Parts: sequence; C-alpha cells; structure tokens
Amino acid sequence: MAAKPMTGQAFFVLTALADGPRHGYGIVGEVADLSQGRVKLKIGSLYGVLERLAAERLIEPDRDEAHDGRLRRYYRLTQDGRRALAEEAELRAATARVVRARLRLTGTQAAG
Amino acid sequence: MSSDLERRYRRVLRLLPGWYRQQWEQDMVAAFLDSWLTGDPEVDEAIIEFCKPGWAEVASVAGLAVRLHLGGPGTPRRYAWGHATRRAVLVVVLMHAVLAVDVLVFLVRSRRLIGWLPPSPASLVIAPGGVWVRMFYLVCIAWIAIFVTLALGHYRTARVLAALAIVPGLVALLQAQRTGFLPAPFGPWAFWVLIDLAPVLAMTTFRRDAPPAAPRRWLLALPAGYLVVYGPLLALQATGNSAWLPDFSGLCCILVSLACLAHAPRAWSRQTAATGLWSLTLALLAAVAGAYRIASLTGYLNDPHLITVSLAELLIVLAAVALVAPDAARAQTATPAPPPYSRAMAA
Repeated sequence: MAAKPMTGQAFFVLTALADGPRHGYGIVGEVADLSQGRVKLKIGSLYGVLERLAAERLIEPDRDEAHDGRLRRYYRLTQDGRRALAEEAELRAATARVVRARLRLTGTQAAG
Repeated sequence: MSSDLERRYRRVLRLLPGWYRQQWEQDMVAAFLDSWLTGDPEVDEAIIEFCKPGWAEVASVAGLAVRLHLGGPGTPRRYAWGHATRRAVLVVVLMHAVLAVDVLVFLVRSRRLIGWLPPSPASLVIAPGGVWVRMFYLVCIAWIAIFVTLALGHYRTARVLAALAIVPGLVALLQAQRTGFLPAPFGPWAFWVLIDLAPVLAMTTFRRDAPPAAPRRWLLALPAGYLVVYGPLLALQATGNSAWLPDFSGLCCILVSLACLAHAPRAWSRQTAATGLWSLTLALLAAVAGAYRIASLTGYLNDPHLITVSLAELLIVLAAVALVAPDAARAQTATPAPPPYSRAMAA
C-alpha cells in the first residue's frame, strides 16, 4: 500500500525537529526560519499537525520544562519520523532534480 | 493564575472537542502565550490586558475544530467508525461462513460421506454435477477461507478471495434477470449488494495498521455461530414446525435483535469505549438487516400474512437497536486509546 503523501507543513515541522527536540513555539519559529518566512504556522494549525504526527508515531514528547510559570512540552522525532523525513527529503530532492533538468531542456532557468 | 489573554484564548479553544482539549490545551496555551509575550514586564502586562487572539489564530483553531468534529484521521469518531465497520464486516463474513458450513454439512449428509450423520431430506438434495453447482460449493469453501484469513489478519488475501467470491453470484443474478428467472428481483439484488458487495468494499478499512481482531475468539465464533443459527432451525424442522422458519432477511433481523438484547445490559451499565464500539457495530448490522428486510418485502406483495411478519421483524430490530443507540452515539465522542505520546510521558 502506498504511503500517504506528506504535507508541506508536516515536512517543515519534522525538519524543525531533525536537529533536536523543540517546544511548540520553538517549532513555529524554526519553521518560519527554514521556509524563509513563507510558512508562518498559527498555533491551531501547528497542533493539528503535531496531533497527526503523534498519531502516526512520527514524533513523541521529549520532556516538560517550566518557563515563566508555564509548562513547555518538547517534542522529538521518533525513529519512524526520522525515516519518513529522510524518505520525503529524498523524494523532494529527486523531484527538484527532474524539474531542473526539464527547465534546462526548455531553456527556462531562473535568472540569478 | 491565568491572565486575561490566556482566558480569551481558552475561550477560543472551547471550539475544540473535549477529548482533544484534554490532551493538547495546556500545550497550546503555553505556545500561544510564548508567541505573544516579549519578556519585558511592562510590555507584557499591556499585552495580557488588552490583546486578544487575532482572526487568523481563531480561524486556525476553528479549522482544526471542524476537522476534529467531522472525524478526520486520528479522531475518536473516525476510530470508532473504522473499528465498528471492521467488526461488522467480520460478522457478515462470519454469517457467510456459517451458511457455507451448513451447505457443506448438507452435502456430507446427502452424499452419506459420514455414515453416522442422518441423510438430508431427499426433496432438498441438490442434483450433483454441472458447473454452477461446483461453483456454488467452491464459493462456499471460499467464504470459510475468507473468514479464517480475515480473522487471522491476512487482510490482502481475504480481500482478493472475497472480490473473486462475489463474482459468481453477480453472474448468476444477471443471467437470471436476463432469462426472466427472477420474478421478485429486489430481494436477491439486495442480498448481493448488502451482504456480498458492501462487506467486500468495506474490507478496505482492514489496513495494515488496523488494530488486529482477537483471532481465537473469532475462529471459535464459527462453530458457535453454526450451532446458534442452525440448532434452533433444525429443531424447528425436526419438530414439524417448519412454518416458523424465517426467511434469510428475517433471520438476519432476529439475530441482530437478539445480539442487541444480549448487549444492552452491558451497554447501559458499563458505558465504556468497548461497549460503545460493539453498540455501534450492532447499529451498523441493524441498518444492513433492516435495509435487506425492506428490499426483500417486494417478494411477498401478494401475501399479507408474510408482509405482516416481515414488518414485525422490522419493528423488532428497530426496537432492539434503540436500546443500544445511545451507547453507539456516545462511542463516537468517547476518548480513544491514549496516543503514543501519553505512554512516552508516563514512562
């Protein structure tokens, strides 16, 4: 059975967790940086993605830390999450290679 | 102590279902406040007092709430329906297997393959030979194999076998329709659509990640089901009360009603997620049995007595399913099994 395609938001969230655990707002900031400001996750959207990734066992909680009287929950990638992210990155890289090759063929490379 | 901003955001979060808030609300509130607060006490005081969640933030929570309430992936509603559908499919396939066992027992009796078994009544024995008769026995064996493979978790094999097993029935129906051998077509077509085709289509819910059924319990249900269904029927035949024998759609209504009655005390007293899933399964089966009963009524249009009996069966199944309906409705919003992160945090 073919795996479900990963959404762009899920891809960015998993990438944000690739180098270590992060809490909710930390993920929002990292996703904004990774996408060069193109993806600005609202909290409702972020937790929709986190809930789905947790249900698919691609992420799990790492620890809770107190900060200004509030508990911040940190999330980390699971082994399955790491594998899924690597596969998705490979797929996207392969697609990008095809796109570049076709653009070269038609002589429509991006300027700069 | 919660701040004004926090209270305003929590008010927005009330759009989300209770089971979801229980899991995620604290974390969402913490992330939301992190996104507003600057660390400067004076500025933060003003933010807390005067700011409120923006429209984009409210829209993101509302979008999430719609998805969760409609039963998106990972939600209790989706989980409950998926679970109940798989159980209902297993029950319908079990029914097919029980019918198949009866046909094979009948064959053994009529051919006197086991000496001590009494022979079948001569009037009911199917004449041997012919492609259709051999195909009929083959399909019976296939349904037993489908049930066993499904119960053992070999979903793909079960799906392929089931897709093949319903084809002869369709061909026979089309042939009968074409040659005019089907005076009341609604009943046979309803059987094929509801009892053959629908479970095969619903087998797509048996994905690799679906929670496995308890194989031993389901496999034991086959001989038990045969005894429960055919014990009373054979007793009626043996005592000369064959007139009380229901037709197949009536039998389905009676069996579902009895199952509802047997389950109702547990559903009312315990009201757990497990009873709720069984209640939902029985509601699904009652819908199938009821639809089949209504469709097969067309075969009795000239017999007011049988119409009355059929309507009574329909009323009985409706009354029986009403007993478990509240528990079935509750199952759709009950908290599902804790997600993996709960166990990780507890460890």
